[in-house]
Amino acid sequence: MSTGTRDYVEELRDMDNSRIGLYAVLLFGIVFYLFPVETAVMTMFKTQGEFARTLPFAPPSADGFTLSALATAWNTLRPGLLNSLVMAIPATIMSALLGSLTAYGLTTISWRGQVGVVVFIIAGIFIPYQAVLVPLAQFWYQILPGLLNGFVNTVFGFITGGDWAYPSRNGYVQLFQLSITHGAYGIPICTLLFRSYYQAISDEMIEAARLDGASAFSIYRNIILPLSLPMFAVTLIYQFTQVYNDLLFALVLVNEPAAQVATQRLAALTGGVVQSFNTTMAGAIVAAFPTLLVYIVFGEQFAKGVAGEN
Amino acid sequence: MAQLTLDNVTKTFQDDDGEIIAVDNVSVDIEDGEFLCVVGPSGCGKSTTLRMIAGLEDITSGEIRLGGQIINDQPPARRNVAMVFQSYALYPHMTVRENMAFGLEESTDMPDSEIDQRVEEATKMLGIFDLIDRKPGELSGGQQQRVALGRAIVRDPEVFLMDEPLANLDAKLKAEMRTELQHLQEDLDVTTVYVTHDQTEAMTMSDRIAILNDGILQQCATPLECYHEPNNLFVAGFIGEPSMNFFPTTREGTTLRADRFEYELGDETAAAVSETTNVTLGIRPEDIELADSTAAVNTFEAVVDVVEPRGNENTAHLQFDADADEQFTMTVDGMTSLKSGQRISVAFPEEAIHLFDTGSGEAIRNRTLDEIETVESVV
Amino acid sequence: MREILSRLRAAGGGLRAAISRDESNGDQLATDGGTTVTTAGDDTLRKSLPVEWELVESAPFWLPPVLLAGFFVYGAIAWNFLLSLTDYNGLGGATYANFDFSMYARMLNDGAFWHAAQNTVVLLVVFTVLCLALGLLVAILIDQNIRFENSFRTIYLLPMSLSFVVTATMWAWVYNARSGVFNQLLRLFNLEGLLVGLLRPAGVNAEVIQWLSWNTTALAAVIFALIWQFSGYAMVVFLAGLRAIPQAHYEAARVDGATTVRMYMRVIIPQLRASAVSASVVLMVFALKAFDFIYALRGSQPGANMDILATMMYRVAFDSLQWAYGSAIAIVLFALALLVIGPYLYSEYRRGEL
Repeated sequence: MSTGTRDYVEELRDMDNSRIGLYAVLLFGIVFYLFPVETAVMTMFKTQGEFARTLPFAPPSADGFTLSALATAWNTLRPGLLNSLVMAIPATIMSALLGSLTAYGLTTISWRGQVGVVVFIIAGIFIPYQAVLVPLAQFWYQILPGLLNGFVNTVFGFITGGDWAYPSRNGYVQLFQLSITHGAYGIPICTLLFRSYYQAISDEMIEAARLDGASAFSIYRNIILPLSLPMFAVTLIYQFTQVYNDLLFALVLVNEPAAQVATQRLAALTGGVVQSFNTTMAGAIVAAFPTLLVYIVFGEQFAKGVAGEN
Repeated sequence: MAQLTLDNVTKTFQDDDGEIIAVDNVSVDIEDGEFLCVVGPSGCGKSTTLRMIAGLEDITSGEIRLGGQIINDQPPARRNVAMVFQSYALYPHMTVRENMAFGLEESTDMPDSEIDQRVEEATKMLGIFDLIDRKPGELSGGQQQRVALGRAIVRDPEVFLMDEPLANLDAKLKAEMRTELQHLQEDLDVTTVYVTHDQTEAMTMSDRIAILNDGILQQCATPLECYHEPNNLFVAGFIGEPSMNFFPTTREGTTLRADRFEYELGDETAAAVSETTNVTLGIRPEDIELADSTAAVNTFEAVVDVVEPRGNENTAHLQFDADADEQFTMTVDGMTSLKSGQRISVAFPEEAIHLFDTGSGEAIRNRTLDEIETVESVV
Repeated sequence: MREILSRLRAAGGGLRAAISRDESNGDQLATDGGTTVTTAGDDTLRKSLPVEWELVESAPFWLPPVLLAGFFVYGAIAWNFLLSLTDYNGLGGATYANFDFSMYARMLNDGAFWHAAQNTVVLLVVFTVLCLALGLLVAILIDQNIRFENSFRTIYLLPMSLSFVVTATMWAWVYNARSGVFNQLLRLFNLEGLLVGLLRPAGVNAEVIQWLSWNTTALAAVIFALIWQFSGYAMVVFLAGLRAIPQAHYEAARVDGATTVRMYMRVIIPQLRASAVSASVVLMVFALKAFDFIYALRGSQPGANMDILATMMYRVAFDSLQWAYGSAIAIVLFALALLVIGPYLYSEYRRGEL
């Protein structure tokens, strides 16, 4: 009896010890995953002299505190932030909508051989974008302008006088091209996310709708679309983060300084010769702000999008 | 008008291993207003049959006609049928009203006020008018079931198709809904095809039962015919709870020789089986009688193995010998006490036995029906 | 109600008559009865019509997006391959002539290419393996019925929501030789001298660790930062895998007397194979795409220690305007990706998971 009680107490104590160890490790995890962000936040409020003098994760002293780094970063990045949003939001909506339509046509309406199309489209998620860069540049800067110039000057020659030229160097045109590009490359992942969601929708319900006389479009509009609103949240949030964070496509497709997106501007800021880390850290935080905000508010949806990528 | 005819309907699926015949040459005529239950074990093709009528599966060969018109190639919505699914398949984001109105909005150009009126009428009929603005998630299983029914009713179809609509309800609610469904069907007088694996449901609700096994129609007849005059061993075994007892025998003259007993046939019965040697003798548990002794013909000694009391009656599992594996069952009156291990005498009355050709399974001779007693109505 | 019914029926009848005027007369199926039905202009049976019908019905939904994505993905890759066979370089349009594999031959003799290829493979393997290991460990820790589970998970996954450019900027500061966190902490614990001695490459004279330039540390530094950013992803995937294992398996192992470690090694981790496979495929693809990170860290000329195929391709094509050579490197990168995802997609397809 007494030994039994002691065993129990010991067990409890051991368990407590291991629990404490567990939480210690988990807290260390927080330090590990947050310290680069924390040092960035601390550094951006420090003067040039202060950040060279102090430990990066320590808060600035009263003398070493400044908002000027943040102001500089903000002024440099502000046009980029706006461009990023103007480019990323339509691209995200386009990918999500087209992904949802594709998934509907390839899942809810089932037909033999559709798996082949699914594989075809899903494989597009994993393509390294380097493999399409040169053709992309060719397409947007050579082929499309050439085709459009020819078409417009032939059909509307009486207005243009034959010397209309596609405004390749216009910043808005470049942002539009970037947006369409992201929208197209986002279709595969959005299709995958919606497809796994639609696979879980009851076949009987779709059959009931067909018996109710609903057309394929009506089923999409009245049943699938309202039911996939939660999935739209997941997809929009995930895809927005991906598009906003990208640098590669922007580097290739946007060369007008006025049209540069936030990641481009930040890369330029970092690559500057003078290493003013307070300014670059402020730039990093400013550039990260939209996605951080989205992540903090919709972290659950983001996690779902991430988990759906396999 | 709404006579539904299945004419040699066949459905085959392609599988990795070749062709699978799900429904094999099924022909049934369903009269206007008739309630037909399609029953059979799982995988027998009953759901596939229903789905072919609905237009959710294409028909490999044969014809389905509704009111004389071939509907094989018509899309589901144009067939003027309504279906109630086992899972109810309600639209979770729509209210009861919207769920029921959806079909009318999609398939007719009826004005909204009229749709509304019909939906309300139907909900009143089903006793769910109070729930009309709730969503399916807020309803109990039984209420969802009624909405599913209501969705079919408002369509005012020529045929109701029901795929195990009561399977997800608990036993008490199931019994209640069974009666209610029957009343509803009688009131509406709409041709109904009802798929179930539950033979009790089929027996109690339907005008006729179609029994399927392995895609082949075994028998299509009234419940009583299926019960008393089964076409074959499968039907005899499937209909009735507890199942009919079967004893494989070899006929020698007018004697059926089984492992543990010999059964003497009367002249008339013997004549009916005179061309068959391997005969299976079938007798329903309630037709086995307790006897005083084994002196009389076709009376045997048996040992009681297990007794299952059911209140109104007891089901006894018997053996011819205490150590034999072969068991058979009999039901006795609830007030008749049998004890495990007790030795008793049982009689197999000749007018109650069924004889089947063991090879083909076909019934050779069914029991001769007793006169059906009719009860005089009180005036 | 009855009245409505009859009206509806009349309407339905009209509708049916309209539909049944089907022109098709082909392949009448043999129905052994040969029953004749007398309805005007009745349609004949057509085999497997609904299947074709569903294909036709669904095409407006999936075909346009598939064509669009197909053009941008597969069209561009095919085009890229074509370009890699030309000698296209410099300003001006491409000339599609002189198709040969000379660009691929050039690669074989290009030391920079072999450096980049080697770094790419090392990055791919080391990053993926360590990310999986760390992700699995963290997932198991988080799966211990802890409090604030959601908060922990959210924080661990946070780096993944950040842009490569942002994280590269932050890590450039962390790795800064003079005042970065790492070196300052090492200085604090008097470890800097020791590590400098251990890590300093021959012929270098610095007294502080140059994490991002020394050939002993540059690639490792990149891998470490990428693990920081993506181990949270591996954790989320493994956590989903752990949650899919029935509680009974844990209990059964306990009843069998297994210790916690043995229970995980023998019972739980083997069941996470599918999670590990899918997570590693995605991680490898991320590693192949690590361009943004390295570009933001060191520009398009990160030096031989850190150069990967993705950065080399960009430099060759967009800095040096050697389009054909860049395209050829891109094709090699694509082939690497195919090597990773091909077997994965095939096995998913075979298991009916797609």
